Amino acid sequence: MELLTFNKDDGFTEAVVRGYRSGILDAASYSNLGQCDSLEDMRMHLQVTDYGTFLQNEPSPLQTMTISEKCTEKLVDEFNYVRCNASSELAKFMDYITYGYMIDNVVLLLTGTLHERDTSELLEKCHPLGKFQSLATLAITTNAKDAYRLVLVDTPLAPYAQMHFNDAHDFTELNIEVIRNTLYKAYLEDFYSYCQSLGGSTAEVMGEILRFEADRRAINITINSLDTELTKEGRAELYCNFGDLYPEGIARLERAENHDAVRAAVEPYPQYRQLFQEATYSQEKSLEDCFFEYEVKLNKLSFEQQFQYGVFYSYLKLKEQEVRNIVWIAECISQDQKARISQYIPIW
Amino acid sequence: MSSTDFYSYACPAGAPFFGYFGAASAMALANLGAAYGTAKAGAGISGMGVTRPDLVMKALIPVVMAGVVGIYGLIIAVIISTKIRAPVLVSGSYKPQYTIFGGAAHMASGLAGGFSGLAAGIAIGIVGDIGTRALGQQPKLFVGMILILIFAEALGLYGLIVALIFSASPIGSCPE
Repeated sequence: MELLTFNKDDGFTEAVVRGYRSGILDAASYSNLGQCDSLEDMRMHLQVTDYGTFLQNEPSPLQTMTISEKCTEKLVDEFNYVRCNASSELAKFMDYITYGYMIDNVVLLLTGTLHERDTSELLEKCHPLGKFQSLATLAITTNAKDAYRLVLVDTPLAPYAQMHFNDAHDFTELNIEVIRNTLYKAYLEDFYSYCQSLGGSTAEVMGEILRFEADRRAINITINSLDTELTKEGRAELYCNFGDLYPEGIARLERAENHDAVRAAVEPYPQYRQLFQEATYSQEKSLEDCFFEYEVKLNKLSFEQQFQYGVFYSYLKLKEQEVRNIVWIAECISQDQKARISQYIPIW
Repeated sequence: MSSTDFYSYACPAGAPFFGYFGAASAMALANLGAAYGTAKAGAGISGMGVTRPDLVMKALIPVVMAGVVGIYGLIIAVIISTKIRAPVLVSGSYKPQYTIFGGAAHMASGLAGGFSGLAAGIAIGIVGDIGTRALGQQPKLFVGMILILIFAEALGLYGLIVALIFSASPIGSCPE
């Protein structure tokens, strides 16, 4: 009976997020931005939106990198505001969302250290939502066992990294990728079972979104590893144990050896068949773009239901897509490629 | 209870308790169902109406149907309450006018109608919520949603019919 009890604990935070959602740029704002001639024009157009004067103190000439950083900073501020006001159950949910970014930061640091980049430079590139205290210590580790013992065991990522704690091989490009994928797989499975345990509309909405995420990862892993040295068994360990494609589609993806086999594996699932068809028939859209569009659609749908936590997750993802769109438009403008400017993914 | 009161086994003093209990439960339970239906369907319509305001008027039908379930409860409660008679005072002692048979019949009537209304209201709420949200995605679903809602409403109607039949049964009279 979430109808009766949800607003007691989470009514305020949900209202805040719905207020933020109404500030997401709509089609008219995007067409205004698309008609800008320079990044200075963009700064002016962004002033009348919810972004306001966030770029005011940046010196001209403006760079796309600055716009991207400032947009992300605003998003992180909004997320942290909601997180600070969250009830204990909602706070746990929002923490789960940040673990994904922690995994990205961990892998960024390990890869960067492998290529002998400066640690402070790497720390600046880390996503702010995924920062944790012992992140910098990862720079001194050389293999998975050390990384687990020294750093990961004290973080919330500990249960996801359990299988690596005995692995004493030094880091290479390939095994860092494998670590990233196994961490993320364990995280997704844990997040999914947590959402299902919350029950009600949250389980319904988040279940739909996370199942799509698992299927999308499975398809991407298969396509990206088709001509590499990753074996079929290695690939099979990276697939999640839930999702619409599980178990029959996953079994066929495991055995797939070329692009046609991947397509045949997703044929029985109407939504993925449609996405594959769209990607083949359109010259401008890649499969990845089609996946992004479908993800935006699912996140928009989650706002139609009330009294559930999915809106917090969906708001974050939609805002990230908006930042990607703004950066795309900025890049097109600064590189004078106006023809491709309409290839962002419209949200509302 | 004085020694000259005319209460007997067929017409005990507690008979009106059952009758009024039936009337109250019909009203309360049917309204619970109607409230749940209105709230759940209303939340779905509000969510859908943000992106498709033109469909909101069509989508209001589940709310109307949930309201009708409340009216069924009202009808049953009013009809039962008109049939319950208070005892009359005849030269210093009470003469009951309401048999325990009547109390049983009216309680059955109220509970039957009330619980059916509750069930119908819950069904209308859940279908109304998901149906209106799906209507926003696919307007052709309108006819299908209405058919499902009609079947859910019929449950409340069955309860009303049975409740009216129970309450119309002759309750007998009390010995003089």
